[in-house]
Amino acid sequence: MNTDLVIGMAGSGGDGIVSAGESLLTAAAMLGYHGVLTKSFGPQIRGGESSFRLRLCTEKVLNPGGALDIAVALNWEDFLKFGAELPVGGQTTVVYDSNTNVAPGKLPLVGVTPAEVLSVPIEQMARETGGSDRAKNTVVLGLMSGWMGIGRDEVIAGIRKRLSKKGAEIVERAEKAFLAGLEYAQQHPLKTDRLMGEPPTTGAKFVVDGNDLCAAAAIVAGCDFFGGYPITPSSEIMHFLGREIWKHGGTMLQAEDEIAGIGAVVGASFAGKKALTATSGPGMSLKTEMLGLASIAELPLVCVNVQRGGPSTGIPTKGEQSDLFQAVFSAHGDVIRPVLAAVSAEDMFPITIEAFNLAEYYQTPVIILSDQEVGQRKETAEPIDVAAIKLVERQRPTGKELEHYTRFRFTETGISPISHPGMKGGNYLASGIEHNELGAPTASGEMHSRMNDKRLRKFDPLKQRRDLFIVEGSAGAPLGLVSWGSVAGIAIEAFRMAVKQGLQVKLLVPRLLYPVAEAVYQEFFASITRGLVVEQNHQSQLFRLLRMFVDVPRGIETLAKSGSNPITPQEVVDRLRQISLALQRDQHQQPSEG
Amino acid sequence: MSTLTAKPIQDYTSKDYKSDLKPIWCPGCGDFGVVQAIYRALANVGRAPHEIAFVSGIGCSSRIPGYTTAYGFNTVHGRSLPIAQGIKLANPELLVLCAGGDGDGFSIGGGHVAHAIRRNVDMTYIVMDNQIYGLTKGQLSPTSRRGLATASSALGSMESPVNPLLYVLGYGAQFVAQGTPADMSGLATIVEEGIRFPGFAFINVQSPCVTYGQEDQMLKAQKATMQTLESLGHDPADRLAAMNLAQAYGEKLYTGVFFRQPEPGPTFERLARERHEAQRASVSSRADVLNAFRVKKP
Repeated sequence: MNTDLVIGMAGSGGDGIVSAGESLLTAAAMLGYHGVLTKSFGPQIRGGESSFRLRLCTEKVLNPGGALDIAVALNWEDFLKFGAELPVGGQTTVVYDSNTNVAPGKLPLVGVTPAEVLSVPIEQMARETGGSDRAKNTVVLGLMSGWMGIGRDEVIAGIRKRLSKKGAEIVERAEKAFLAGLEYAQQHPLKTDRLMGEPPTTGAKFVVDGNDLCAAAAIVAGCDFFGGYPITPSSEIMHFLGREIWKHGGTMLQAEDEIAGIGAVVGASFAGKKALTATSGPGMSLKTEMLGLASIAELPLVCVNVQRGGPSTGIPTKGEQSDLFQAVFSAHGDVIRPVLAAVSAEDMFPITIEAFNLAEYYQTPVIILSDQEVGQRKETAEPIDVAAIKLVERQRPTGKELEHYTRFRFTETGISPISHPGMKGGNYLASGIEHNELGAPTASGEMHSRMNDKRLRKFDPLKQRRDLFIVEGSAGAPLGLVSWGSVAGIAIEAFRMAVKQGLQVKLLVPRLLYPVAEAVYQEFFASITRGLVVEQNHQSQLFRLLRMFVDVPRGIETLAKSGSNPITPQEVVDRLRQISLALQRDQHQQPSEG
Repeated sequence: MSTLTAKPIQDYTSKDYKSDLKPIWCPGCGDFGVVQAIYRALANVGRAPHEIAFVSGIGCSSRIPGYTTAYGFNTVHGRSLPIAQGIKLANPELLVLCAGGDGDGFSIGGGHVAHAIRRNVDMTYIVMDNQIYGLTKGQLSPTSRRGLATASSALGSMESPVNPLLYVLGYGAQFVAQGTPADMSGLATIVEEGIRFPGFAFINVQSPCVTYGQEDQMLKAQKATMQTLESLGHDPADRLAAMNLAQAYGEKLYTGVFFRQPEPGPTFERLARERHEAQRASVSSRADVLNAFRVKKP
């Protein structure tokens, strides 16, 4: 019996690879299993290579895992293109289509001897039962269901639901293909046990992906306007809202460009609505000037950056965490814009709600850093209790304040009540130009200084939001692990492994990245002499950002890799062990007292 | 067909739309006449100042919202149109005005004009066209004539100007007019017609720059040369005739309505409202959106 299995599958674009992965995840979610499904594609729109990796677990799982337990290759050329994204190791069961004419002893895998290799007539079974090679993915579903011992009824239910529109004959063929795979698996048991253990008894899960969930959270938050421009890998946010926002009285505008997209959002916010835009790196570059306008005019908005490999066009279909510097520093002028990052697809829900709340409360643009993995991976999630969500609305002027309305009034908090067109007595001039309390343009150095102070000081309480940080481990541990965004899911698992192995380590995952909450980090680093910051970018951007604001101990190292180079929990643990050894040497070298 | 027979909604005078801010414009700037015409047009329409959103970009002329009592938004260079559309879509009850210079509208923000036209959000876009960059002290603008020597073209411009009228007519604008502060009363009428037009209305205003402009563009010269389209017997329902006359941009100063769509097409916000009405019945609360993620046991 297994509690944790990783399956990887690759083939050509038309093979229905991703659809197979989704079917398996959905079936497992119905049974109550936890799972994470990532997809990876070549750059082609049709055809080209396509893959998924699915990790199924009997406990909550935060990342797509390391080496594969089961690898499925519909053809070897496409499988090999994914390299380290689909790693085959000594524990892997390799399944491939017999039609590739590769002998089991001559797999094109260099330097690896898998635990078990099976050549299966996948295409042949698909033709015999499903009537065409298009049923190959369904045959594989049957194989997996058989070997893992899960989801027979659930997969069939999924097939019926998905294909019912195409007619009874198609459904029947698909079921036959599935059952053929299932029977084959039962007749050819694996040497290595791949049966899944009992699922948790908590019942069926949600299946979410970060982009769709972000869009849904926006609706729940009360967002009534989306403006944006299509860009990979964020467009699903626009697609979802294009279907759903109208039902709730909101409007979706596919604008002529990235600038107009956020421009319309700035306008909608000025008009009093909660508003959202979403993009990826190149679009963020274009939106920068508008973010500055929203900052000086003190207008709430939420801007999601589903990060991809950069700079410029970079690798549009693959994730990276390399836009942190951009999120924090791309404004001209003295500006703070809150930057939040979700650690998983499921986390996009609370993070998006939080982003709207911060935007409305502080009257500011808020940036959410997602990435291709958080945005597009599918994962199981606990059902969401909407009744428990607290929403924050922007502070409106009272009737008395509207008698002599002062839009940018200096207040103790730096936050001034905001009116909107249609509100009698609230008329004011909003502008990108520096202004006085009434909104009138000014070039006075004194007023500029006071306004900057107001606009920056208002964020002070945000730095005290400890609930936006995940902190685990014993307070006095000398070894620290820090990570953020999608990679935090790997770091959290590595942390738990390290603790089990007896390492004296503690973990910090900021979900608020900016403004830098100095006190939270100082407290965390107080006991630490050595440690590791793990992130998916080349420059160690979080590490460098922290060094700018916080006294980071000199013994902190980095594990930073460019996008689409997987980081595994084991790799993090290995580094932590090395650092722990160095820590022990430090302690030996310390001169003893007396 | 004149749309000006409508009575004001409430009794307002120009004064009610004039703010206390003192314009930064040079004495004699054409924009003084433009803002006066806007005050008068707004008084004739009679919407309360707090129900008006007035959006602009960057440039001398883009200071104009601050000189009115409307909700003003002096935004960034070239982006007034997307922001104004966002405002109108967020609250279709508002009267939305948008204004800026020729650089704002046809250079840095030129890409937005075509989309404002095809999207057809109900608003009035007033371009104060002075064929020069005044705020940055006298460089070439997209409507500067070929050969013009300016701060940025000491040896003369090597480019031909954009023709704003042909540009918008070509993109299918449903209301296209031109005016000048040399005829403030005529301009007020045009602005009022633009506001009353149910859709995106474009008004080009030949508003001279007294500091960096050319002699033949000054108000005095304009008064001698301008001709109303009405006096030429132009039929504003005829787009091709309008385009023919618009070709004289830069050579002749025609004022009045070049084109007014006799049966205006639907505005974006009307289609949005219809969609809201059609879709709303399918959900009971915002939480329903989460049903998309629920998996159910077979």
